Amino acid sequence: MRREALQQIKQKYGNRATDSRFECSLYSRDLASIPAFIVNPLFNTMPDLVVRPTSAEEVAEILKVVYTSDIPVTPRAGASTAYFGSIPIKGGVVIDLNLINGVVGLSETEMTVTTKAGTTWSDLDEYLNSKGFSSKSFPSSAPVATVGGWFCMKGYGIGSLKYGSLLSQVKAIEVVLPGGEIRRFFRDSEPPLDWFFASEGTLGVITEVELEVRKLNPMKHFLMPCPDVSEMAKILAAVKDAKIPPYNLHFADQQCVRRLHKLGFSPGQIEAGCLLAIDYEGTVEELTQAQEIMAALIMDHPKMGPLPEETAKTEWTEKFMALRLKRGGPSILGGEVWLPIRELVGYLADIQKMAARYNLEVLSYGHVVTPQHATIMTFFYADEKRTVDYILNFGLIKKIYDVGSRHCGYPYGVGLWNTPYIGRIFSPLRLADLRKRKKKLDPKGLMNPGKVYRWPFMMNPLHFGLAMGILAGLARLIGRGGRR
Amino acid sequence: MTTKFGISFSTLEEEALTCGRCGYCRKSCPVYQVIGWESATPRGKITIAKDLFTKRKGKALTDEFVQRVAQCTLCGACANLCSTYIDTRQMWLELRKRIARMGKAPKGYNAIRQNLLANKNITKFSNDDRLEWAQDLDKEIEELKLKVGAEVCYFVGCVSAFFPRASQIPLAIVEIFMRSKIDFTTMGGEEWCCGFPLFAAGFVDDAGQFIGHNVAKLKELDIHSLVVSCPTCYHIWKHSSQEELAGYDLEVLHATEYLEQLVKGGRIELNELHEVVTYHDPCDLGRNSGIYNAPREIIISIPGVRFVELRHTRTDSLCCGGGGNLQSVDPESAAGIARIRTEEIKETGATILVSSCQQCEQMLSTAINDAGLAVRVMDISQLLLEVMA
Repeated sequence: MRREALQQIKQKYGNRATDSRFECSLYSRDLASIPAFIVNPLFNTMPDLVVRPTSAEEVAEILKVVYTSDIPVTPRAGASTAYFGSIPIKGGVVIDLNLINGVVGLSETEMTVTTKAGTTWSDLDEYLNSKGFSSKSFPSSAPVATVGGWFCMKGYGIGSLKYGSLLSQVKAIEVVLPGGEIRRFFRDSEPPLDWFFASEGTLGVITEVELEVRKLNPMKHFLMPCPDVSEMAKILAAVKDAKIPPYNLHFADQQCVRRLHKLGFSPGQIEAGCLLAIDYEGTVEELTQAQEIMAALIMDHPKMGPLPEETAKTEWTEKFMALRLKRGGPSILGGEVWLPIRELVGYLADIQKMAARYNLEVLSYGHVVTPQHATIMTFFYADEKRTVDYILNFGLIKKIYDVGSRHCGYPYGVGLWNTPYIGRIFSPLRLADLRKRKKKLDPKGLMNPGKVYRWPFMMNPLHFGLAMGILAGLARLIGRGGRR
Repeated sequence: MTTKFGISFSTLEEEALTCGRCGYCRKSCPVYQVIGWESATPRGKITIAKDLFTKRKGKALTDEFVQRVAQCTLCGACANLCSTYIDTRQMWLELRKRIARMGKAPKGYNAIRQNLLANKNITKFSNDDRLEWAQDLDKEIEELKLKVGAEVCYFVGCVSAFFPRASQIPLAIVEIFMRSKIDFTTMGGEEWCCGFPLFAAGFVDDAGQFIGHNVAKLKELDIHSLVVSCPTCYHIWKHSSQEELAGYDLEVLHATEYLEQLVKGGRIELNELHEVVTYHDPCDLGRNSGIYNAPREIIISIPGVRFVELRHTRTDSLCCGGGGNLQSVDPESAAGIARIRTEEIKETGATILVSSCQQCEQMLSTAINDAGLAVRVMDISQLLLEVMA
């Protein structure tokens, strides 16, 4: 029956469906580079079929066929995370959503836009900008991340500090439920649309999103070199809590700044200290007030004069290029942590203590995404050609998350690889509630199985912690931690 | 070639390992836009290349991968968005080179090679017929014959020399040169293909022979200023012939640059033209060579013209589909790419589309005709000749 169902889809969708091993193998990867001999014994990441529908109706048709035949389904769009969130672990069908794209309509009076879920944030903004509008916020991977994809994640990024999470901006979504029913959900529908937020494609396939937009406003950019993390944290706190919140507030620690300089990417040729980028958008009056806020701040911190505005503007235009740091690799390993800002100084200090223990160069950069929280990417260099060292280094990723955990932080996003941390990410009550939702909407557990709700057996926190601890111990013992 | 921040391509293996698989390249890749599969994305190809060359030393090369590597216009748009600043255009050339050396080049590429080695041009015609297009001139032009020490040598390029539609370009350029009293010559039958089709097919050593021949002939003619109308030939002269040209004083100009000099120098007077004109940046002239302003300066200097930009322009310009030997392996995708660009041309409401590449003009002309648009497609030289007083 399974084979017949797959054949049925393949025939129906012709050159938009494939079971070619060559093609399917690329749908078993995302940003994470993990050796096949580790992944393959644990999971079946090779899809049996990949199909590219062009509409919600086609998605519904596909889901009806596969759900009846108990075939697992994994939705995929930009595939721009590193947690295997859009990688199948039980084979089945991968639905490539990139053809479901384009803007459906802009309401200038309501200040909303309705867009197909496979539209990238860059394409959406290009469209909105041409009409004098802009997205309220967008991910730092906007050239590839799709509207639906980011909604399925936690939805915090550039612009969130001023305009809130993506959830707060979305007014309606169209979802194809696992059984193939096409439904529209609102903030007050039953269930509400927030059930699908951060659900990582486990409850259905989002095909359309209606979200709030803002007027395209002028911007003002500041880039502040700071001597150390604690000074940077003071400025950061003062800026975020000021009367006019920045649109974007991101930072790089000393190690990151040093490495940027070494690679030739340093804004303003800054060699040491930290960097804090502060970007405002708004009306002329708001920008004038922002300028006054910054002027007062600079007066209070005369040793931390901002870099020329042109340099700050360049940093803004390079906002999607964080991966350029990978040039120091060839490989990088690390994790993204959701962290209370009050813990920032302690977290970065403890990360450096850990780095010293493992003889690693560990770099951190992050975005302040709410008045209380930041997302911080902490990573170190590795070399996947040196297989043994590379695998030993996996243990150190957990060490990063452990430091985060000691500072009330947790991994940002779950996917597959962060399932051992769901006890840190969700409270028991929240997790129980999420599992109820899953059971209600996907009783067969076929939508993106193995993600978010439970860890796969081999990745239960006890086994996982033990294995990672051994790897980290060996990494420390052998002293091949990295390229410090 | 270097990408942003002056980063040079190191080795295929190192660059493939550096790729972060972020997928930004998908947005700008014209081939991905028409094929749609992950294996057609630059990140997909690099992923496979990494496995193939860092882990398997080139073994397990599949026909599917060879086809995907060939399905690329070498437009360079992917390098523009690469978050790790990989010179991806160089990556595709390097991959094609390795595939050719493994004897696995697509059949179409081998046919290109055999033909070029036999005829020294991309057609089946004898290279002695390179100046056939000049028969359409009103009179015999002495300057077209090889002339030692001419002020300027005009490098015509295979497509313009042998294909009737494209030959309107050399006809226009020669007419402009004559009216402007330029002391010029051509290489006549001594002009060989610039070598790009061989480069793009991975036959780098063969390409080197063609470059070597053209450079040697130019030196024999004691030429120190070369004007090239084909952007790809221009790119080869400007970037890939530097080793052969070392120590020799040669100024290489694209026709748009030279014509701009003539216009700005007052050697050409222009009549009014009341049309809406848009301009398509050829990839090898714009993104890959950095020439954006010269053609625009010419267009806006024409009185009465209303110039409108396409939605994607300059560094973000979309490819026409005609580059990188794509037509020899996948003409359907090439035509599909041209259709995407044609949609943008339609949006502008332009009555004339100008470009400065015979290949772009051919691709877009076909797509525009197929779309039933009332848009004239012209080379910048044709436009200039039309408005010359």
